[in-house]
Parts: sequence; C-alpha cells; structure tokens
Amino acid sequence: MDGANMNAQVGLTSPATIGADVCHLNLHKTFCIPHGGGGPGMGPIGVAKHLVPYLPGHAVVDIDNGKAIHAVSAAPWGSASILLISHAYIAMMGAEGLTNATKYAILNANYIKARLEKHYPVLYAGANGRCAHEMILDCRGFKAYGIEVTDIAKRLMDYGFHAPTVSFPVAGTVMVEPTESEPKHELDRFCNAMISIRHEIEDVEKGLADKVNNPLKNAPHTAAVITANEWEHPYTRQKAAFPLPYVAQYKFWPSVGRVNDTYGDRTLICTCPPIESYEFEESAIE
Amino acid sequence: MKLNIDYQEKFEHRHIAPNPADTTEMLHTVGVETIDELIAQTVPQKIRLAKPLNLSAAQSEFDYLNTLKQTASKNKVFKSYIGQGYYDVIVPGVIQRNILENPGWYTQYTPYQAEIAQGRLQALLNFQTMVLDLTGMEIANASLLDEGTAAAEAMFMQYSLRKNQQANVFFVSEEVFPQTIDILKTRSQPYGIELLIGDHRTVELTDQMFGAIVQYPSGNGEVYNYTGFAAKGHEKGIKLTVVADLMSLVLLTPPGEWGADIVVGSSQRFGVPMGFGGPHAAFFATKEEYKRSMPGRIIGVTIDSAGNYALRMALQTREQHIRRDKATSNICTAQALLAIMAGMYAVYHGPQGLKLIAERIHGLTILLDRSLAELGYEQQNKAYFDTLKYELGDLAKPIHGQAINNEVNLNYSGTSVTISLDETTSLEDVKTIIRFFAKVKGKSINDVAIDDIKQNIDTVIPAELLRTTPYLTHPLFNSHHSEHEMLRYIKSLEAKDLSLCHSMIALGSCTMKLNATTEMVPVTWAEFSKMHPFAPTDQVGGYMQVFDELNKWLGEITGFAAMSLQPNAGAQGEYAGLMVIRAYHQDRGDHHRNIALIPSSAHGTNPASAAMAGMKIVVVKCDDNGNIDVADLKEKAEQYKNELSCLMVT
Repeated sequence: MDGANMNAQVGLTSPATIGADVCHLNLHKTFCIPHGGGGPGMGPIGVAKHLVPYLPGHAVVDIDNGKAIHAVSAAPWGSASILLISHAYIAMMGAEGLTNATKYAILNANYIKARLEKHYPVLYAGANGRCAHEMILDCRGFKAYGIEVTDIAKRLMDYGFHAPTVSFPVAGTVMVEPTESEPKHELDRFCNAMISIRHEIEDVEKGLADKVNNPLKNAPHTAAVITANEWEHPYTRQKAAFPLPYVAQYKFWPSVGRVNDTYGDRTLICTCPPIESYEFEESAIE
Repeated sequence: MKLNIDYQEKFEHRHIAPNPADTTEMLHTVGVETIDELIAQTVPQKIRLAKPLNLSAAQSEFDYLNTLKQTASKNKVFKSYIGQGYYDVIVPGVIQRNILENPGWYTQYTPYQAEIAQGRLQALLNFQTMVLDLTGMEIANASLLDEGTAAAEAMFMQYSLRKNQQANVFFVSEEVFPQTIDILKTRSQPYGIELLIGDHRTVELTDQMFGAIVQYPSGNGEVYNYTGFAAKGHEKGIKLTVVADLMSLVLLTPPGEWGADIVVGSSQRFGVPMGFGGPHAAFFATKEEYKRSMPGRIIGVTIDSAGNYALRMALQTREQHIRRDKATSNICTAQALLAIMAGMYAVYHGPQGLKLIAERIHGLTILLDRSLAELGYEQQNKAYFDTLKYELGDLAKPIHGQAINNEVNLNYSGTSVTISLDETTSLEDVKTIIRFFAKVKGKSINDVAIDDIKQNIDTVIPAELLRTTPYLTHPLFNSHHSEHEMLRYIKSLEAKDLSLCHSMIALGSCTMKLNATTEMVPVTWAEFSKMHPFAPTDQVGGYMQVFDELNKWLGEITGFAAMSLQPNAGAQGEYAGLMVIRAYHQDRGDHHRNIALIPSSAHGTNPASAAMAGMKIVVVKCDDNGNIDVADLKEKAEQYKNELSCLMVT
C-alpha cells in the first residue's frame, strides 16, 4: 500500500487493519517534516511479520534482520537527523492529540467542502456525502469557456494563495487538503478566494468578461504590471491585484508574470546566465 | 480567587488550529452536531481501530526538549576522521539561522508554481551552476537523495543509453565507497545488470560492458589519473560515471576535462551538517546530449508573460507523472533545502574562499602525513587530497585505544586505517593525532619537527591532476562575502517565495501541516547534527533511543510488526517495500511472481517504482473519477494468480 499520506488514518484506522502487508509513510506529510521547498523527506516502511527479515541492510553498519535486502539508501537510517521532527510530533501529541489531529483534518476538509460545493462539483465523496482529509474540485466544466485549471491556480496567487494540487489524480481538477493546522479564518479566506474566482469564471461564461483578456488568463499580476503607466485590460487594476478586501491588508506579490514553459524547454539554459539579463546595473545618480 | 496550579500547556492546542467556538460553527456548516458524528460518517466502522493507540502520554514542548536533551547526551560527539562521504563542516551562521532554521525557506513545497517560487528556483540554479563549474560538465540537476542513489541513477542512465542491447555488465571500481556499492547491488539485480567489482588498473574491458564507475579521489583517498581508463572505455563504447568529492574538485582537474560522461556525488561538505547520515543533497551532472535521460529535477531559465527573466523546473515531461513505468527514474522528492544550503555556501565563500578552505584541508593532511612519517608510519596513498591510509598491523589495536581515549574516530578496516580531514580540522587537532601515534611507538610529538614541516608544505597532487580552469566566475559567487550582503541576498530570495509563513498551502496529498518550531529545534543540536553515520554503536545511544521509540510508535500507529527507517524519500519507501516483497517471493522459491497490479489512477511514481523493482505492471481499470473497477481487479487477479507478486494501492 502507498500510505504516503496517513492524515485521515492516524488513531482511527491503520494500514494493517485495512489489510496491507507493506506500507511506506511519508514522514514529510503526516509526521511534520517540512517539505523544504522540494525535500528533504523520509519514507520509512512498515511491514507485517512475515516480511521483517527482508528489511534493508547496510554494508558498513550491521542492521540485518536475517535475510536483509541490500541497502536502498547510502546511510543506515536514511536522513537520520530529521527523524527527530516526527519523534517530537508524536511525543508531544500523544495518542489523543494524534487522533484529534486526524479528526480535525477531516473536519477542516469537510468544512471547505460544505462551503465550496455550491460553486464547484466535488468528486469522490463517500456514501454519506463526506470527504476524508482532502477533496477534489472538478474544474473540467470551465474548459468550454476557455478557462483551464492552470488559470485558477495562477489567479489564486493574486489572492495570496498557493494553488492546491493541480490535475492529480484527475486531470482538470484541483485537490484541496487544508490539514488540521489551519484555523477557521484561514479556511474562510481560502474559500472566499475560490468563490470569488468562481464568480470571475461566471463573468467569462456570461460574456461579461473578455474570453482572453480577463483576470484569470492574465494572472498572476505583478507589482510592475499593476503600477505600469500603461494598462490595457478591460478590468481595473484594483480587481487585478486586490480582488478581496483582505488582500489589501497583507499582499503577497508574485515576483514574475506567468512563466513560459515551452520557451524555456526549447532553449534550455540550466546555469546562471550573465548577470545583465536579470539585474539592473547600478549607476551613480548625479 | 482560587488559583489553578495543575495547568499544563498542551502542544495539541498549538498544532490543531480551530478553537472550540470555531469548531462549533464549522460543525454547524458541515451539518453535524459533533466531530465524532462526522467521523462516523467518514471512516467506515469496519476499518476503525478496536482500541485507542497505545502511546506515551503527551509532553509539553518545554518538557519534550528537556527530556530530549537528556537523550541527546547519550550521543558522544567525537572528532570524526571517518570520512567515507561524511565530513564535519562549519555551517556559516548566516546560512544556518536564515535558511536551515528559517520557516521562510523550509516550509515550502516543490516549486511547481514557479511564479511564487523564484527565490528557491534561483538558489537551486546557483547550485546547478556550482556543480557544473566544479565538475567541468555541461548540465546538472537540482539534487538527488544521496551519493549512493545518485550512483545508482547514473548506472541506470548508462544502461538505458547503451547501444549494444546485449551488454549487461557494469564495472564498479572496488575503491568506490562500500555503501555506494551496496546500493548498486540492490538496484542492478531487478534489471539483470551484472556488477563486475575490481581494480580499474587491471580490469579487462569487454563488449559486454555498457558502463563503469570509479571514485575521485578513491574511497581509500588515492587520487588516480583515470584519463587512460576513460579513453579505453570510450573506444569500447563504455560510458564512465565518476563519483567525485566537490571540495577536492576545487584543487583537482575536474572529471569533465578527462573523459567523464556522468559525475555524481554528495554536496554535504559544502556547509551541511553530517546529521548521522542526512539529509544532504547529492548532485548529478552530465553532458548536454544526455539531458533528456537525466533523472531528477532540473531548473531552467525562461521568460515570463512580460518577456522578463524567470525560472521554472524544465523538461517536466521526463518525469514519472507523465511517463509512468517508462520514466527515467522514480525520484520525486529531492533535497532542495540542502542543495540550497550548499549553493549558498559557495555564494558565501566564493572561489577564493573555497580555495583557501580546500588548501588548508589538503595542507594539514600533508603535514599529518609527513609528521607520522617521521615517527616511522608508512602512508600508502601517493597522491591524495584529504585522506591518508595506513597498514598498522599489531599497532592497529593500541592506536584504536588511544584514539578512543582522545575522543577521536578513525576509519578502521581490519588492521588498516584511513584518516580523513575536513574544514573543521585545526593544527591543534592534527597535533592530537600525532601525539597518540607517537605514544604508541613510545615516542613523543617532540620527535617530530612540525615547525619545519609547516614552513614548507607543497601539494602531493601531480601537476597533470591540478585544476587549471577557473570556477565560480559568475558575479553571484563573487558579490556576497560580507555578512550584510549575504544576509540581504538570502532575504531578497526568500521574499519571492510564498511559504507557510504567508498562508495556507492546501496541496492535496501533500499535507502541508504545521512544522512546529519545537520539532525543528533539536535538528541543529550538536549532539545530533555532528554525528557521523558510521560512528561506533557505543557512541550513538541517543539516536538509538530515538529510533527505538519512533519504531515502536510508528508500529503502533500503522499496526505493523516492524519498520525500516532507511528509505530517505517516499519513492524510496515504495521501492524498498516492493524489493522486500520481491525478496520474500524469491526466498520462497516463487521466482516467477513478478506482476504488480496497479490502478490506472495511481500516482505515477507507483508504476515507475514497480518497474525499477523488476516487476511487470498490469494496469487495473478505473472509472472517470479514479475509482478502482473492482470487477476488473478480480478478473486480473484471477488471470495472473500464478505470477502475481503484489497489488499496489493508495
């Protein structure tokens, strides 16, 4: 079983209860190791009794359980120092805290679902209409109006949010997982942003906004774009950069406009280019 | 007023954010009375645990740190000369506090949303540039998990690129680190790759070989000139991977200049603590022509909608999300934070600073060599950078005893020993070693003319292996050497990235929950960060206690009999699990069981890992919403019942 994400399971059920013989855990998910901007992570495995002798060994440090396979990582205990993080989490939460974390992860997800399902179709709800710790919002229907899921992801940046998971496991959807660590007002901020974006899509649907020159297609809007002398869009600068009141209180500015993937793959440059290309030469002002 | 003196601060209330009033409102919105009512509707009763988890009582943050401090004291921090890919470092304070210990750098996800990730994309581009300059190669990725797995990825890339489809032998120099050879063994088996482990100076290269791997400097510390070996291999169509030490490349001719096709290694000694084995960033560099076969994430330059300079992850189509079981690798998580640190170390020191550090390491090693020679110890490496090798015979035991008395760890193998110096080694440290080597022979440090030796230390690396090409010439590596400049550079990049410091990152399946400060604090405690992974077991009691507890707790949480804490990423865990299943079947004589049933909606890493474990993938149908088609599953399980190895579900 790929048990990478245990956040709906801890304290309520377990991979062994479900019937798995082997399961790996991403400690950088459920057990609090930070993602580090793309690593480190840790993926220890748990196994049922009959598989214990085969757990990985090591050439230098003896950790063989009898019939160990050769090592999978260079160090005997992988990235050992960050195991401390998961150790601290479990020790400080205890059985009840961990179980409550699972429950609140499920509550937070279902709260978002309750607020957003009027605006976005939700895939995969259980028999009781509930989601577990995450949900999939279907954005495929907007394609008919030229709005792609990427446009929603990029527009969220204007609202100060990082997009949920895009197009996994179903293309054209977003998967939302709030976790237990987010308070209600943060969930509300996110829901408000998603609902506001849904209204922006509606404007395109109804022909109230241009199909191409609209805040979704042009997102994200940088400070340079907003403050430029020229503004050639049918919507206001205010709507572009401060679409909801909360954004004005604490604005995160994307540092570049939408990146061009195909351009970069066509002319592949993977080292720091000459400094002139991205920094202004300081010249003395007389 | 009565006072409550039983109040205990609960971490749970810091980790779980909704307060009671909000919870009531949220439950109302969801349409249930209590949270347990919601759970009953969510998690089916038949899979619920029969009883609560049996774990120790929750500790407050304050109590936890106090308890852990006691546990930490069971680790003995000896001066490490073990080497073997792990070296003590001086983490620049400005990098430790503002990157390693800073949630503005450690809480982000992989930079898929490039527009709000330009800071770390730039820092990773710096890492790639640094690797290219030092290795002399043409393209590098933004890190792999560790040196051993990077070597295995290199082997597989060479295998994929082989022209002669019959060739299945991979030559491995016996002087590659043992942990690297061990991983090559794991990874070669499922593909039917045969490893030929031997001496590169005497091995006979054949048409059956598709590739070779050597280490520079070698595992024993010798700096070989591999130019002839590389040329002979190329004549036979054999590609060459070189495992290289970044610090030594400051002084040595880079492998790219003498025939390497791929260069891999660890960037740990560029300012990343040993941490008892990790995390550290490995690097992978190769030639431009192989860029589409290269594993791992590559940062590339492009333009944004306004035509301005922008960065993002390049060549995404190589990744397993798209290519599934035909992907170049199953690797997802890399070591971004550690690669960023290593790149910043180069930014901070610059080419001149690095050269001074490398020269001091090299110089002190020569001083040690010549001092021990005066005491009658015969050193075996002719050309070396930082590692000396001695055959001690009967003296091995007393030396070992003296080393322990002086809280020094050397690298022992039978009666021979290697000593590897690093940037933390001082002249005083070297004198300590000289003293106890002298004592064992009934001599004294006064028998060594250290002051004379010191006056006249010249490199032992032959001229043809000394680097002549400049490196890190880009202004980025030559502009931020005062702490203010460095601090502002780090902060200017951090400001471009959206992290959990700004807002919720609701990435499905990624669980971007709180990374509590108290959880992070012990990671940089010396008792944990300065431990070498191969330190003797009687010095690592603190770590062993943490692992024992963690194993027990994770066992309780998952319901499993035992855990392995070795896999250092999710994809590694998947692979390890599949290899364990494979070993089980083989041990029972079921060599034919090699089919993995995988739903079509599975994460692309699943089929990629199964393919790496030598399994044949049979895809189970799913509906448009990704639900497994149970009828199809039953049918396929029945159809393949004799060859079935496992079913892989998420």
